[in-house]
Amino acid sequence: MADKKFHALVCCRAGMGSSMMLKIKIDQVIKENDLPIETEHGNLDSLIGFNGDFVITMPDLTDELNADDRVPSAVGITNIVDKAEMKEKLTAWLAEHNA
Amino acid sequence: MLSDLLTEDLVQLNVVASNWEDAIRKSAQPLVDIKKVTEGYVDDIIKGVNELGPYIVITEHVALPHARPESGALEPAVGITVLKDSVEFGSKDNDPVKFLFPLAAKDSEGHLSALQSLVELLSDPDFFAQLEKAQSPKDVVDLVHAKEGRL
Repeated sequence: MADKKFHALVCCRAGMGSSMMLKIKIDQVIKENDLPIETEHGNLDSLIGFNGDFVITMPDLTDELNADDRVPSAVGITNIVDKAEMKEKLTAWLAEHNA
Repeated sequence: MLSDLLTEDLVQLNVVASNWEDAIRKSAQPLVDIKKVTEGYVDDIIKGVNELGPYIVITEHVALPHARPESGALEPAVGITVLKDSVEFGSKDNDPVKFLFPLAAKDSEGHLSALQSLVELLSDPDFFAQLEKAQSPKDVVDLVHAKEGRL
């Protein structure tokens, strides 16, 4: 069984406003759907020494982060209150990384 | 709670803005006026959007103007600005913006409950329906109080 938990960093540029709200919603989606993901929260500086599995952020940062060597992969959430979008994108990421 | 950070002098209705930058500056002006943030904080919000795109447009028609705490957040605060006419921020999915919630926080953890309330409000279509009907800043503060009372 999938005991492994994937580790995600939820971040934005400032690391206190939108990313914290995004983390609140993401955690609700993870809990409701029992997804094997655990999250931490930070700003772009948190990427220094980051050794988790992926980054969850807002769409405008996604391309930049996907190009960043320190980031294994980045998932961009367009609408901070859209749980269906979050579920779809997290599930797709898990499928891709065969969880 | 969000209602601890939101006062009537931080609420503005029917604001006329000519573009996204004007909308951000006008939404944040009350926070500057009552010394919740410095002018530099507002400049950093604009700089962030110029550098990284409209990443503060976080859901349909809603922008959350905020910057790094160290750029000039003095005290925690949340404002609400409703524009008379929506403006384009260049957000592919969430334009045009009608509602702005300028935010100042010194760290995330200390205001977790306020951010939690805010994200629940942003998830609530009835909140926006009532916000559009609000006639005064007091109506808006009362609305937030009422919504939080039920959370």
